[in-house]
Amino acid sequence: MTEKVEYWVKIPFGPIHPGLEEPEKFILTLDGEKIVDVDVKLGYNLRGIQWIGLRRNYIQIMYLAERMCGICSFSHNHTYTRAVEEAAGIEVPERAEYIRVIIGELERIHSHLLNLGVLAHDIGYDTLLHLTWLAREKVMDTLEAVSGNRVNYSMVTIGGVRRDIDEKKRRAIEEMIKYYKEVFPQIEEAFLHDPTIEARFRDTAVISKRVALEQGAVGPTGRGSGIRDDARWSERLGVYPDLGIKPVMPQDVTGERPRGDVFDRMAVRIGELWQSLELIEHALDAMPDGPIKTFPKDNVLYAKLRLMVDGEGIGRYEAPRGELVHYVRGKKGSDKPLRWKPREPTFPNLFAVAKGVIGDQVADFVVAVASIDPCLSCTDRVAVVQDGKKKILTEKDLLRESIKKTREINPDIKGDPSPLGVGCVR
Amino acid sequence: MSADEVHDPVAEEVKEPTKAEEVAKKIAERFPSASVEVKTNKWGRQRVWVRVPREDYKALMGFIKELDPEAHYSIGIEQDWGEELGFLAHLVIHYRDAPAVSLIVDVHAPKDDPVIPDISDIFPIALQFEREGMEMVGLDFEGAPDKRRLFLPEDFPEGIYPLRLDDKGISEEMVKNAGHPYLIKKGGKE
Repeated sequence: MTEKVEYWVKIPFGPIHPGLEEPEKFILTLDGEKIVDVDVKLGYNLRGIQWIGLRRNYIQIMYLAERMCGICSFSHNHTYTRAVEEAAGIEVPERAEYIRVIIGELERIHSHLLNLGVLAHDIGYDTLLHLTWLAREKVMDTLEAVSGNRVNYSMVTIGGVRRDIDEKKRRAIEEMIKYYKEVFPQIEEAFLHDPTIEARFRDTAVISKRVALEQGAVGPTGRGSGIRDDARWSERLGVYPDLGIKPVMPQDVTGERPRGDVFDRMAVRIGELWQSLELIEHALDAMPDGPIKTFPKDNVLYAKLRLMVDGEGIGRYEAPRGELVHYVRGKKGSDKPLRWKPREPTFPNLFAVAKGVIGDQVADFVVAVASIDPCLSCTDRVAVVQDGKKKILTEKDLLRESIKKTREINPDIKGDPSPLGVGCVR
Repeated sequence: MSADEVHDPVAEEVKEPTKAEEVAKKIAERFPSASVEVKTNKWGRQRVWVRVPREDYKALMGFIKELDPEAHYSIGIEQDWGEELGFLAHLVIHYRDAPAVSLIVDVHAPKDDPVIPDISDIFPIALQFEREGMEMVGLDFEGAPDKRRLFLPEDFPEGIYPLRLDDKGISEEMVKNAGHPYLIKKGGKE
């Protein structure tokens, strides 16, 4: 009698792997080239932010929340702020709501362009990576013009926004819209009608609607699988209903029924690029004059929050990657929350895609993970053009500049912050 | 219209119950042990807050799935309430037409018996939040099919729960130095 022998092997994929942009570990069980099972292990980048949050006041947490993710920093700040506003019963001026929409949609454009580039890069199609990332520069420059920063914009505060959009900033945004109306058709054509893209993305990592529902998939991952939900729409968030928000489904872009594959998730993002442009245009037109925050000074806000936060609040927002939730519980008289918990969209999406890749080839795994748009870390060098001469700043230069700046701000600083570069772990 | 007519309750227009109010009513009728409240925030958004004894928790989650088979389990939050531990879940139901119903289910267990039923057979994603709850505050989800740690390392000591308000913290020996010169100086143990 012959015994059937199964040649299954388990291989670790990550936490550090050339195909992953961030540390996360998957244990793949393989039958030859076929994926049989996936186990997810998280926590390699756990920075204890919830723990730190319990030791910071409500205003400090705004900036901490923003630094959870460089790509969707507005989303975290905005959602946390909504949760505190709900717990404290603070209203937001209408103009601030429109500014929140504009910054949120600018962030969505940069996040989606980034992910489209990453997807193309993962199949070796670097021409498209360069096309999308070149286009992304325009929205990054616009965000810098509006907020002063390319990431971590600090635009939102509890009870409003911190900076207004004046005529100059408005012109920068309008110029950006004009630019994208010329560029987006090229990007759309390249991604939706390229045979290479279709061959690699169609029917890859199919997440069925049933699996998406079971695993709580959100954002383009959920909508790509046919779940018609968008937190901006289903939450009736701020002024989004007035701007005619609707969830973008794959059929709106491809004309076909959702299949839940990588292609559909990509198609949703392309549809949302157009939707974001439209929303920004509408918001600029409809934005009323008036105040941009309820409490003009932070010390007043701090004092009010001590008295006003008494109970629980939930903030829900559709970040570029999907539904983002923040929960805040506070007690009257304290300036700190008793509990603050964020749930970012990658969390349920990772478990959904881990189910979706079962039965696929191991070579598709990198594309499958990239298709849910997990977070990325950023730049380690900067190029500066000064007096017509280009200079590349090294790590040591950046440290030197940072020390110089610290001394400018506080000349009385004690101790020597050097040695230069020794503290950097390579 | 006179001022009397404005305040006459009989003359007031009868409002149709909202989706959230209907859901709250159904839950209150089915689970008399639960305390159900519909709260409206400053923007007019309604949320249904349900506090349920742990004996009825699993049945309530099953009932929510009956109300909407496509209910979305959005977040599970482990909490320390002092004498008790809690687990709060936010769900979104009836989202095919905006606004969706935002539903919050809260369940508590005493610290000396921190057992709450597992509901991952009803909402499979809940298991991952439960795993987080087990490692962060020390809740025990009875019947959970996977009780391994999700975020914390395997060598993290037993009985220490980072998000408990009475958290004791890990020992000095467990702090791994990342090679930063200031940390080496401060520790001074090399």
